[in-house]
Amino acid sequence: MNGEGLAKDLTLEEFSRFRDFIHSTSGIFLEDGKLDSLRISLVTRATRLGYPAFDDYYRLLVQDEREFNELMNLVTINETSFFRFPQQFDALKSQVLPEIMSGKTQSNRAIRIWSAGCSTGEEPYSLGMACADAGIQGLGWKPQILGTDVSTKALALAKKATYGKRAMLNVSKDVLARHFEPAADQYAVAPHIRGIVDFGYHNLIKEPYPLSLMGNWDIIFCRNVTIYFKMESTKRVVSNFYNSLNEGGYLFIGHSETLSSITDLFEVVEVGGVYLYRKPRAKRMFAITPKPRFSAGTPVSPARETSSPVRPARKPAARHAAEQDSPVAAVAGNPDLVTQARLCLEQGHPDQVIEIVARILLSDPNNAEAHLLSAYVYADSGDYPQALEACHRALAINPLLPVARYILGIIHQRQGDPVRAISELKKTIYIEADFALAHLNLANIYKAQRKWDTAAREYENALRALYKSPEGSWTEFLGGFKVDLLAKTCERSLLECRKAMGVA
Amino acid sequence: MAARVLAVDDSPTILEMIKAILEAGGYEVITAADGAEALETARSEKPDLILLDVMLPKLDGYRVCRLLKFDQKYKSIPIIMLTAKTEEQSMATGIRTGANQYLTKPVEPDTLLSAVAEELAKVQG
Repeated sequence: MNGEGLAKDLTLEEFSRFRDFIHSTSGIFLEDGKLDSLRISLVTRATRLGYPAFDDYYRLLVQDEREFNELMNLVTINETSFFRFPQQFDALKSQVLPEIMSGKTQSNRAIRIWSAGCSTGEEPYSLGMACADAGIQGLGWKPQILGTDVSTKALALAKKATYGKRAMLNVSKDVLARHFEPAADQYAVAPHIRGIVDFGYHNLIKEPYPLSLMGNWDIIFCRNVTIYFKMESTKRVVSNFYNSLNEGGYLFIGHSETLSSITDLFEVVEVGGVYLYRKPRAKRMFAITPKPRFSAGTPVSPARETSSPVRPARKPAARHAAEQDSPVAAVAGNPDLVTQARLCLEQGHPDQVIEIVARILLSDPNNAEAHLLSAYVYADSGDYPQALEACHRALAINPLLPVARYILGIIHQRQGDPVRAISELKKTIYIEADFALAHLNLANIYKAQRKWDTAAREYENALRALYKSPEGSWTEFLGGFKVDLLAKTCERSLLECRKAMGVA
Repeated sequence: MAARVLAVDDSPTILEMIKAILEAGGYEVITAADGAEALETARSEKPDLILLDVMLPKLDGYRVCRLLKFDQKYKSIPIIMLTAKTEEQSMATGIRTGANQYLTKPVEPDTLLSAVAEELAKVQG
């Protein structure tokens, strides 16, 4: 907290004066133990408004009701309790958890929640209880909650997990009975909740964040981020949260806070009067899109509605790079089933691809191409276990299929497993040196790991491969994007890496 | 093999009734008495269809339905919601939570059986 010019110590008289005023105005009586909390809040507000002394701030406070509310937000925020702002926990249970679940594959049953700035642990434990009460564990989901804070003292108390009456204000009798155990004159969090909550030290404004925190979070709670930090730091912290969240993941901030002047990266979602921030989902992995121009004599039913919640509309003009050698003509005469399946894929009918593939495999179970097609469709629909199986089947028939390796690499990347992703992408390149997208994805992984020089080298390789063979087998994964756009992306990222290395 | 139906209701008498009707219709029936048990049974027994009462202890039927329908692993299981009286509001909620059908209690045995058969036919194609 920055309070130059302002005495950071509050005398007892000053404290009593603010306390009495707060008491007479709001009915809230701050005990002596709250002196520290009040002092921090006063320093924060007085500094932000540029007041040199508490006296001046007091004069404003008595005549400005809005300022009074601002101060009270701060004073009470320093106080932690279970289920603080219960509406946020309701939103979590009713909307956010089901939505997060729906975005996960069948094999991934972990739900990761980070309580950033967790103080003495009430918030992460409340999150654990909310998960337990949502019933999701019954379906085999495994919530994992991590609380982090800069205060080792607070963390020690959090790990102790026993609390006095004051923290239990919002805890109903039911919740008390389900998730607490009596401990002397206090309440201890029950083992089934403690078992899903972990704690660790972390300073939100110290960068870079450790790898364990970067990435793969479904939900982040940080409910006073805009209040404690200055604007610049807040921006950094929120941007780190954004990068750490999975697509479709949620950021919960304080109920009176807003990110409107901090970032526009998030989608704002309202749930029962609570405003939440959601990281948008990118377009689907291989972007199978309907190609309206094709209307060959293949059986075509209306594209089935997909379950993907956000799917950006693509202009019909954005077309497949390999469109020129379209198989339409070949199909018109005597449709070979593989060609037909490819065509359905291009036309955006993944369900028909699966049907045709099933027919092919019935008579020819060792048709690697058919397995690959279904891998492609499953990967695109987010069904990774099926996609992985199809890839492995294709590879069992022919281990030198670059596309199968590439799909494996992308799936591992999506599942937050960079080690395996790198391994498969390297194999892809080993088989087909000019697989530009494999180079690009490798580069992106290295860039995320801040391995600037390795990343730069791979961007260069990607560019070289693009120029050398712009019609490679990887073009089918471009999802309608033009090769030159890909080149521009590479160039821009390459420049970023060089800047980070200090050579541009 | 007979299709397996999970019936969820906190009233043992109603459960017995439903069980009798469905068993007479040739189905295998398993039961659960509250929302949490419904989810656990859905997971362990993998039923072909779920008959779900709305008013349930622990987790209400809507929430159970919503969780199942939002889970890639279970969303294809058809769910028929049962409730005591027709309320437009609950009907709307039932549809929003992704229930496949909505029946009002007390339900006629024939209505129940044909609803179950209809939903199973849709999945089994």
